[in-house]
Amino acid sequence: MSTEKKSFSRRKFLQRGAIVLGGTVVASYLGCSPLRRFTAQKVESMDFPAMMSSLQPDFWFEVLPDNTISLKSPKIEIGQGVFTGLAMLAAEELDVSYEQIKVEHSNTKGGLYDEMNTGGSSSTASLYEPIREVAATMREMLKEAAAKKWGVKASEIKTQNGTLISGNNKITYAEIAKENKKWEIPKTPELRPKSAFKVVGKSVKRTDLKAKVMGTAKYTLDSELPDMLYAVLLQSPYLDGTIKTIDTKEAEKSAGVVKVVHEGELVAVVAKTFYAADSAFKKIEVEWNTPNKVQQADLIKLVTVGNGKEVNIQKEGNAKSIIEDNKSSIFRQEYRTPMAAHAQMEVNAAIAHVQADKALIIAGTQGPKIVIDTVSKALKLDKDKIEVQTPLVGGGFGRKAVKGLYVEAALISKAVGKPVKLYNSRQQEFQNSLYRPNTHHVLQAKIAQNGEIEAITHDQATPDMLKNLMGTDLPNKILGADFISAGHGASLMYNFKNKSVSVWNAEVPIPIGIWRGVGMFPNAFAIESFMNELAQQTKKDPIAFRIGLLQDDDKISVRSKKVLETLIEKSGWKTPKTEGIGRGIAIGNDRKTIAAAAIELAIVEGKVVVKKVTQVMDVGVSINPEGIKQQIEGATMMGIGAALYEEATVKDGQVEQAYFSQYPMVSLADVPEIQCFILEGDDIPYGVGEPPLAPIAPAITGAILDLTGKAVRSLPIKLS
Amino acid sequence: MKIDFKINGEPTSIDVDPAMPLLWVVRDELKLTATKFGCGMAMCGACTLHIDGEAVRSCSVPIETIAGKDITTLEGLSESEANLHPIQQAWMEEQVPQCGYCQSGFMMAAAKLLKENPNPSDDDIKNGITNICRCGTHPRIIKAIKRAAEISYQKL
Repeated sequence: MSTEKKSFSRRKFLQRGAIVLGGTVVASYLGCSPLRRFTAQKVESMDFPAMMSSLQPDFWFEVLPDNTISLKSPKIEIGQGVFTGLAMLAAEELDVSYEQIKVEHSNTKGGLYDEMNTGGSSSTASLYEPIREVAATMREMLKEAAAKKWGVKASEIKTQNGTLISGNNKITYAEIAKENKKWEIPKTPELRPKSAFKVVGKSVKRTDLKAKVMGTAKYTLDSELPDMLYAVLLQSPYLDGTIKTIDTKEAEKSAGVVKVVHEGELVAVVAKTFYAADSAFKKIEVEWNTPNKVQQADLIKLVTVGNGKEVNIQKEGNAKSIIEDNKSSIFRQEYRTPMAAHAQMEVNAAIAHVQADKALIIAGTQGPKIVIDTVSKALKLDKDKIEVQTPLVGGGFGRKAVKGLYVEAALISKAVGKPVKLYNSRQQEFQNSLYRPNTHHVLQAKIAQNGEIEAITHDQATPDMLKNLMGTDLPNKILGADFISAGHGASLMYNFKNKSVSVWNAEVPIPIGIWRGVGMFPNAFAIESFMNELAQQTKKDPIAFRIGLLQDDDKISVRSKKVLETLIEKSGWKTPKTEGIGRGIAIGNDRKTIAAAAIELAIVEGKVVVKKVTQVMDVGVSINPEGIKQQIEGATMMGIGAALYEEATVKDGQVEQAYFSQYPMVSLADVPEIQCFILEGDDIPYGVGEPPLAPIAPAITGAILDLTGKAVRSLPIKLS
Repeated sequence: MKIDFKINGEPTSIDVDPAMPLLWVVRDELKLTATKFGCGMAMCGACTLHIDGEAVRSCSVPIETIAGKDITTLEGLSESEANLHPIQQAWMEEQVPQCGYCQSGFMMAAAKLLKENPNPSDDDIKNGITNICRCGTHPRIIKAIKRAAEISYQKL
């Protein structure tokens, strides 16, 4: 989509990849040009680039005295395994085991951070070359230093297990880093080819595995600062609710309370312990103004194709006029996906310590830059006075991208003059949040006499997801509709001669966020469910039908075809079905990762029971197959939940689901047999965290169609 | 109110509000942070620990009810890192965690399940543990519990 390129290509990319050797920062601006080239290529193809901060001092690697290597990750570990992937890439050029590389989050004072959020399944892929280039440069610098010491040529030195070797000479990286005082910065060396990879492509254990099994992994809630107080923040359970009347007298008198902060709409109980703060908080009496009266029916009406602005994002041939001219014989179906919550296990949390001239924020966030920007604005403090530290993140799925509690924590800390830890209750997390928006889709096809699809259109109505992410609705005003995030995946990947796709911008009185898979989730559901129905209408096998429409020789078509052919074989698609079992499939192209799923299910006592899921995913280049498998399994489970159970609804201006009991999700009881197959159909890696989610729901509806002959066109699936 | 109990084998005494949930005593007073806060309403299981060998959701247990009792958190599940509890060993082998946040609660629930049922079937596991995980580690949790059963059997 050419329009997408424009919106990102103007972004300035600044990169300073320094290295710390022997305690001093060297090689500033290292890797500048290859990184620029790399990013230019990335922008060209509209993959999310990594955009590094320009704060000083910035470094990626440090050789530590024990000969381990510290790698400061500019990307956030939200459970997707990015630390492991980056360690593997670095190990490939550094000739150390990946376990010898200790990956941690860079903080905004100690290293690079990514100006893009960690999201869009882009993290490891976006750093595939940069990490290796910086690592290779560091290896060459160490070799140069040893060459000087021994009076040999650098090219005669071998590197192995963190040691430099030439004849009988041997020295560790740490020893030479300590000894050598003057560092030469070589030209960026040629990267080792994929055929020479020793670690990348092999299944390894996550670097954070042990800490997470032993319980020593630290999240925001586990972090502390000296002299820290605890706060509980008053938040309206109504959308856009404001305080009408409030009485905090009883709360102020409650045991352990230090202060009840009350500055306009900001009301928080601050106490010596969370328990004291929470107990006092329950004594606050408050009445709310509830200006937002939105009802569920309003949401459905607002998010309907035909309402709001239309932006055409894909047009080949004259699909619209063919559909218009053949109205009476068009196959037309409508699909809806519901609003949903992220429901990540770790609630939003932040620790803030605001002093007169500086502020420290500890927050599990997918977007450190947004923390700096928003806290700076709220405190009227320069951005370079704000330090952000990111502990491990207990699940994000898009919810930790924006609107954490860091601004409120900073304001409360400022009001009490002490460090403050603040976190949401589960009820606040559900009701005072950001939501995946509900969507509406209209798909129409003109089926020719011979069963071929002569023309096809897809119209998606969706609220804007970018607004909260970018902190401005400017993108929407310029773009007309959010076809970048919410409309992601709306285009048709099949080579229909006549096709047309539009995204309709819906304005809703709901705070909208990004949810795992972004626009892929609703769009794949609608398009792929429709594809299954079209196959049924034209009496074709749903996989053969798709393969027939992927005959072009562009990379995506070729890779998609291969994925589907593999799926036929691995899922046993052509083997006889057991009585009572339905089979369905779906595929998606999620920023060049091709993921397809075949599902077998049964209906037991009126309930869908998923029995078996086979996923085939072409990831371009596979870095850690075991990590990819984890992502496929996780996305499969989340996809089953989204298809069968999950739905957030509104009533009288309030999100109705406040507790886990009101928002059912998958449990152990839902686990099917899952098989994962990874293909490598390209020479660079693509994202793996989100792509395997999108095919699940439409593969389930496809299997229901197969089993019952009935099409399900809205989620969560309700069999009547 | 002063309350005496054992935590991970250590005799402990604490003077707090008797209604304070055990979860906050463990996390904020005793600084044992493996046990997580997930919902505060005993719905998600992130705060699961053992009281006298029973798996309990500690967010909803007032501290006054545990006087004289024996609490085990994930920090006390294994004898040592060299001699891991079969559940933790299996969790490592099967590489269960993703974000990791709910895992402590799952491991504590699984350890209890295994103690009662040393050779659980898939259905025993599916019906026996109702904790919530959002990353979708469920398939590996089932595998790990079955693997832990094997490890326990081999150790006998």
